[in-house]
Amino acid sequence: MNLNIDAIKSQTFDAIVIGSGISGGWAAKELTEKGLKVAVMERGREIKHIEGYETAMKNPWEFDHRGRPTNMAAEEYWAGMRTGYTPAEEHRYLFENDKQNPYIEKKGGFDWIRAYHTGGKSLLWGRQTYRWNREDFLANEKEGIGTPWPIGYDDLAPWYSYVEKFAGISGQAEGLDVLPDSDFLPAMQMTAPEVHFKNAVDKKLGRPVTVGRVAHLTKPGKQHTDLGRSSCNYRNKCMRGCPYGAYFSSLSATLPAAQRTNRLTMIHNAIVAEIIYDEKSQKAKGVRVIDQNTLEHKEYYAKIIFVNAGAIGSTSIMMNSKSNRYQNGLGNDSDQLGRNIMDHHLGVGASATVEGFEKDYMFGNRPNGLYIPRYRNWGKDKRGYTRGFGYQGGASREGWGRGVGQDGFGAQFKESLTHPGQWTVGFGGFGEILPDPNNRFTLSDQKDKWGLPILSFEANFGENEMKMRQDMMNDAAEMLEAAGFKNINAYNGQNTHIGLGIHEMGTARMGTSVKNSIVNKHNQVHEVKNVFMTDGAAMASASCVNPSLTYMAMTARAADFAVRELKKGNL
Amino acid sequence: MLNRRDAVSRIAMLVGGVFSAPTLFAMEAKKAGIVAEAGTFTLTDSQRKIVAAVAEHIIPKTSTAGAIEAGVPPFIEMMLNDCYKKPEHVSFKKGVDNLAKAKFLDQSHDAQVAMLTLLEADTKELMKSYATSKVKVGDNVDKDVLEGAGGVPFWRVMKELTLLGYYTSEKGIEGSFEYHPVPGKFEVISNMKPDQKSFVY
Repeated sequence: MNLNIDAIKSQTFDAIVIGSGISGGWAAKELTEKGLKVAVMERGREIKHIEGYETAMKNPWEFDHRGRPTNMAAEEYWAGMRTGYTPAEEHRYLFENDKQNPYIEKKGGFDWIRAYHTGGKSLLWGRQTYRWNREDFLANEKEGIGTPWPIGYDDLAPWYSYVEKFAGISGQAEGLDVLPDSDFLPAMQMTAPEVHFKNAVDKKLGRPVTVGRVAHLTKPGKQHTDLGRSSCNYRNKCMRGCPYGAYFSSLSATLPAAQRTNRLTMIHNAIVAEIIYDEKSQKAKGVRVIDQNTLEHKEYYAKIIFVNAGAIGSTSIMMNSKSNRYQNGLGNDSDQLGRNIMDHHLGVGASATVEGFEKDYMFGNRPNGLYIPRYRNWGKDKRGYTRGFGYQGGASREGWGRGVGQDGFGAQFKESLTHPGQWTVGFGGFGEILPDPNNRFTLSDQKDKWGLPILSFEANFGENEMKMRQDMMNDAAEMLEAAGFKNINAYNGQNTHIGLGIHEMGTARMGTSVKNSIVNKHNQVHEVKNVFMTDGAAMASASCVNPSLTYMAMTARAADFAVRELKKGNL
Repeated sequence: MLNRRDAVSRIAMLVGGVFSAPTLFAMEAKKAGIVAEAGTFTLTDSQRKIVAAVAEHIIPKTSTAGAIEAGVPPFIEMMLNDCYKKPEHVSFKKGVDNLAKAKFLDQSHDAQVAMLTLLEADTKELMKSYATSKVKVGDNVDKDVLEGAGGVPFWRVMKELTLLGYYTSEKGIEGSFEYHPVPGKFEVISNMKPDQKSFVY
């Protein structure tokens, strides 16, 4: 390298964060607030908060195809089409084109949904926010599955509370062991049929039902308004980007917080090809990036590196970081990189129609539903499979769309569709997937347009998931029946893949030793101590609750540790 | 316990406007490894007249705009070209041509209504066989199903696109609903008035 000293200086920071999504944003915020000069490498284009949300304020008629994906979009966003919603016209601009970003599916499918731009999938997430419970951290060890978690609920609890206060989580405290309460902003309301359902399921089946816990500001505090965030306006057009900053994203919250320290440098279009390992110090010294547009290669240097590119992205960077010491990928002595892909399995549940409640309605489009916490294999309940599932769903009144399946046409038909229709209700399960070393991805011999290896996936549901799905379907129907709802229809979609939940986890898992895992209890790569992985990659198991809150808490905790270690001269 | 077929067809009904039958069938076809050609779609002027007349029958002008005034007929043609594939292109044209053969436009208003009522009843029968065979449970589920199956029938596509085009148009929304693009609050209502229009956001 014949770079002059000034150039090297301008490319040197205290810390590099790879990725600006939900965990990368937290790493940037925490590290800058603790005094470090931080560069965030974002592989995608820059999107500016508010002005970058190009479809946010559009009326329905301003979308040419009224939201429907065109044939061309369906072909180009082939993985997205499997979700049924990501290629919709209103928010497609925030998802990646699968044809231009190919991956290989070996034996079975894998749904890899990507969002390469400032904020990543934090702009697009479901915003459902749940703490893990105590058992979630103990189950692997008790059952001899995967690797034991080296941390427990108590390690994370103060950090959960810390990130919740900053992010702003709306929800109802219930005092349940299975679903620990967060530090809540006021809960959103339930509709009348939902209240009826909650009471019936509690009384007849002893299962609690609560309103969804969601990262929306229902009553902003100073820490939120200081960043320009305001209350939820109940439009439920969140995936277009929220001009009110009402839901938590890197753009609305963590990146502005990092920016106000004046210690943040955002570098866009910077695809990290590899982390550069220094054999002498046995640490990483920086990253090599490729400009996604100019294809120019450049190096950046730092004392610590946080890898937050999303589970698959982070892991593939580690795999591609080869050196004499680590010929099989950085920190990969255990050969666990890329293995144990987890997600939540879904596409199973039940729906029904609700008689009565004709005078009940609601104003506003609630960006949230109900949540039924796990009850299977909990307490005295024992099933023929392990772990459990929760449900998300809710009730609403039909709109004009009901006319498509109804008989009739003409003036009266036209008029009837202008009024709210009957209530319908539905719940879908989110089930825990067990870690399985055979569910994995590898680097293939094929290269993408940047010369980086195209990823090859091989991941399938196991017996435990398939057994669990029977309960997920039957129990949903049972609960709708307990509430007296009619026309109950239970379903168990057989064509879903791992990845459909867009909760990728586990490919650089946390564990108790360098022999069984990639990172230690501080999310620190076991023997490359200045590299930290704090996104879904680090998960040793999946729980059945939505994962983002746990990534946030882990990231804040790891950043605190990293800076303390740095100050002690250990990194 | 209900099987998957019922579940899927029921879902199609329940969420009609959002995730409608044509989309669903297209997905099923894809799973079966049958990928329909996209092709292009245009109508002749005489076919356009029929489509406009049928759309106006589904959503006629009353005290509020009808389908034609809301721009639905050209919307239907554009959607067929951009979002539907060859099987629907063929079945749609066949439906239009059948109406042409029956001299639809020369009939009285009442006779036209009678023809469309019949068409709706026939389509309903036809759709039953579609749903049954397409998503039945078992090995190689979807394979035998789609062989020889035509596109989604004309009337079904016509009705769906008319409703979509109308109730999401500016005239359709403003004439039909209470439109609140920024509601600003979420409140449950327990004493809804009987003539309450749907809130649309």
